[in-house]
Amino acid sequence: MKLIYSQLQKLLPDLNVVPQKLRDDLTMIGHFTNYFEEIENEIVFDLDIKVNRGDCLGYFGIAKDLGVYYNIPLLVPQITLPKTLENLDIPIEIKSNDVKRVLALKLSNIKVADSPEWLKKVLSLHGINSINNIVDATNYIMLFYGIPSHAFDTAKTTPYLIWENNNNRFDKFTSLDGSILDLNKETLLISNQKDALSLSFIGGNNSGIDSNTQEIIVEMAIYNRSRVRKDSRSLKTVTEASIRLEKDLDTETIPMAFDQLINLIIDLGSGQITSNLFEKYLVKPEIPQIEFNAQKPSITSGINIPIDFVLDVLNRLGCKIEKTGELFLVTPPSIRPDITMEADLVEEVVRFFGYQNIPITEPLAFKDVTDITPKEIYLIDELKDKLVDLGYDEVLTWPLVSKPVDPKTVITTQNSINTESIYLRQSLIPSLQEQQDQYERLKLFSTQFFEIGKIFFQEGDKYIEKNSLGIYNSKAENLVSDLEKLGIKGKIVDKKYVEIILDDLPKPNSYAPQVKNFKAYELTSQIITLDANVSFSDEKDPVELIKHYSEIIGDKYLWQLIITDIYKDTKSNQFRYTFRASYFNIDDKTAKDIHLKSFGLKN
Amino acid sequence: MDQKLEQILNQYQEKIAQIVTDKDLETTRIELFGRNGLFNDLFTKMKDIEPQDRRSYGQNLNVIKNELERLMALQSQKVEKTVKTKVENQENIKALPKIGHLHPVTQTERQLNALFKKLGFSVYNSPEIVTDEFNFERLNVPKNHPARDMQDSIYIKEPEYLLRTQTSTIESYLLKAKSGDLPIRAAFPGSVYRNEKVNRSNHFVFHQYQAVVVDKGLTMKDLISTMDLMFKTLYGPEVVVRYRAKYYPEVEPGVGPDMQCFNCHGKGCPICKYAGWIEMGGSGMIHPKVLKSAGIDPNIWSGFAFGMGLDRWTMAQKNIKDIRTLMGGNLAYKPNEL
Repeated sequence: MKLIYSQLQKLLPDLNVVPQKLRDDLTMIGHFTNYFEEIENEIVFDLDIKVNRGDCLGYFGIAKDLGVYYNIPLLVPQITLPKTLENLDIPIEIKSNDVKRVLALKLSNIKVADSPEWLKKVLSLHGINSINNIVDATNYIMLFYGIPSHAFDTAKTTPYLIWENNNNRFDKFTSLDGSILDLNKETLLISNQKDALSLSFIGGNNSGIDSNTQEIIVEMAIYNRSRVRKDSRSLKTVTEASIRLEKDLDTETIPMAFDQLINLIIDLGSGQITSNLFEKYLVKPEIPQIEFNAQKPSITSGINIPIDFVLDVLNRLGCKIEKTGELFLVTPPSIRPDITMEADLVEEVVRFFGYQNIPITEPLAFKDVTDITPKEIYLIDELKDKLVDLGYDEVLTWPLVSKPVDPKTVITTQNSINTESIYLRQSLIPSLQEQQDQYERLKLFSTQFFEIGKIFFQEGDKYIEKNSLGIYNSKAENLVSDLEKLGIKGKIVDKKYVEIILDDLPKPNSYAPQVKNFKAYELTSQIITLDANVSFSDEKDPVELIKHYSEIIGDKYLWQLIITDIYKDTKSNQFRYTFRASYFNIDDKTAKDIHLKSFGLKN
Repeated sequence: MDQKLEQILNQYQEKIAQIVTDKDLETTRIELFGRNGLFNDLFTKMKDIEPQDRRSYGQNLNVIKNELERLMALQSQKVEKTVKTKVENQENIKALPKIGHLHPVTQTERQLNALFKKLGFSVYNSPEIVTDEFNFERLNVPKNHPARDMQDSIYIKEPEYLLRTQTSTIESYLLKAKSGDLPIRAAFPGSVYRNEKVNRSNHFVFHQYQAVVVDKGLTMKDLISTMDLMFKTLYGPEVVVRYRAKYYPEVEPGVGPDMQCFNCHGKGCPICKYAGWIEMGGSGMIHPKVLKSAGIDPNIWSGFAFGMGLDRWTMAQKNIKDIRTLMGGNLAYKPNEL
């Protein structure tokens, strides 16, 4: 979410910290702020709002938090609306149980026009296009209070509005932007009996405001957030309104936000109120009374947080506090539906006291606690070490595969990442074969590797997981002897692969695995292999030669250096060594240049 | 046999028998069997032979070619014996011994397991196919809770069975299984699954590491100090980590560790998205509802949990740019290098 510093200061006139500090403080109290930037002479912050803080999807909620943190007053706008010109009740009916609270008013003699520059700029900095002064006013108030609203052109509808669930009355809905949405049976919408005029989170194109609009009905409502979430998901449409309405919003804030909206519309569009206020308050918030031990923030944090500070923070948050014996009875403000229990109050106090005030001291000391390590973990660690000692490399492959080994027992995912990889693997061998194919494409030969991972089966309605070991060795004869060294048996497939179910093997009571730092590389191109013949007048130690030339070539590009042949020419008494050097992550020409230079050869 | 072919045979029988150097042997081989050699030429010219004679000509040509190849092979052995001495025991000296390697993710897991073992932690694990109850409900994420939007799950049988989306799910199993055997100290590396499109930066399966403690009198100070030890073990003693308020439904208070950006040292750069800090994972005091749902009395016992993703750390360590490399991709190890 974007946050403009100057807009925040409208609610917090005493806010006067440098942007960098504000960014860091917002982050420390839980609103992770990625960055701030100066755009059109405004400081704009980009922050993430926690999913349980719907109140912070508007300036008002963020300002409340900052007011508590900096201990500065929050300026709550005081609005007095002009009286209605007509004693008229708007015919509105609420048929849906998903509506919590609705406020609505009719305004006449509206002059639709472009918005003033300040409003266009604020919306633009939030990534919202300016439409006209009426629509922009609703969007501005949404940004300010986090509560969406909507305006209907009464000339295009009738003054009659019904909040209802679709119940298959309407098949399709055309939104303001012209998208045609297929409605579901339960979709929450606003109709005039004849047409669907709006959904809970997006207006329709049949009742929108345009340059001819003269009379409007403005409504602000909060719904059952699950309904909005389901509608938004099922219709695959996400709007600024749906993002907010699918959170727990405060129905008690509606009158203040609505009054400011009407005031702003009159201010921008010269309209007049021509109806009585319609209000239906169907679901009031259940505000808990929480027993609170004021010592608890200190007990939980491990540092001393004075009780005066604890109570002051809760007070500044808008909580009502009563003392009952040793404890307090705390009633949180309705704007904070996320505060329901003592732990929530503790978190509030600690975050405003400042996590940075919790010192980093000694970690937990050793404690002799019962070892609950499952024995198969010891077996897996032991086998990995033994395989590495035998020269095998560990690989990891995808647990989702495209072909079942046994279609009768395969487990199929319902919503996989693509249409191919939909099965949970039943064997490691096909995955190891794919890994070997990939190595061959990279021109990596003489490989030997293993994987230990889960394989999956379905038996009736039971899902079964087994730990499995899969091994590949490009030299079939070595695979057989290595299995003997490991003391395990398994069915060899294609001479070079074997798979063993670990659950069936005896397990050690304990094992301390080796901790080593092995290098690993991301190959971005094929391995390039080049030969070189080098002659010496005396016989050399081949291992020393390999080390010597490896150093000359350097670690950056050399994959492997071996000697493929050594000959002694009896006539010249020269020893000729044939080297085979493999280069990685390098193009052919560079490899050749390095090769020739390193072995002192001519092109 | 064609007279010309017989002449060729005789001529080269004699020539081959006289070869004494490997250089001459190679020259003759190219002369006879090279791309522009005699036999290629003769086979090409077969089209000029009368159709009725073509078959027998071809058969004879093959007989002569095979014979000369045999003679070349025989002479090759003589040449080596008389002119050069092949050094013995080559099989043992051609290359340094092949060395095996653990996967980088396993290396990190073991490094952390070893650290926590010293503090009395066990290593734990649990199934990867899990129920909604263990993945969400027991972690204080009831149905329709907004936190469910934080994760896109891969379902086996919606809504009941899914692939675990986080290592906190292992915590659910752990707390249930060991609630009668307190205190608990356990750490668990594990694969977790999300319905993410696989690309350079995202994968549907990735690796997390989590540690959980349930005991009496635990505090946030214990949590932060122990977690800090983990980061110092991985990143070195100079690493700067800040601990801030963060929301996770299974903990309260929630704590988010951020590491000061290694590239810009807090000033802001593209790597840290100009924040100056990099998010490292999540942690907090175990939520009383989570303890309660496992049958642990939160008025007597407290707990903390912290976790981090292993893939990005591993990628940074091994200079891996593409997350796909870690799983069945282009990850490879030099055969002779530790």
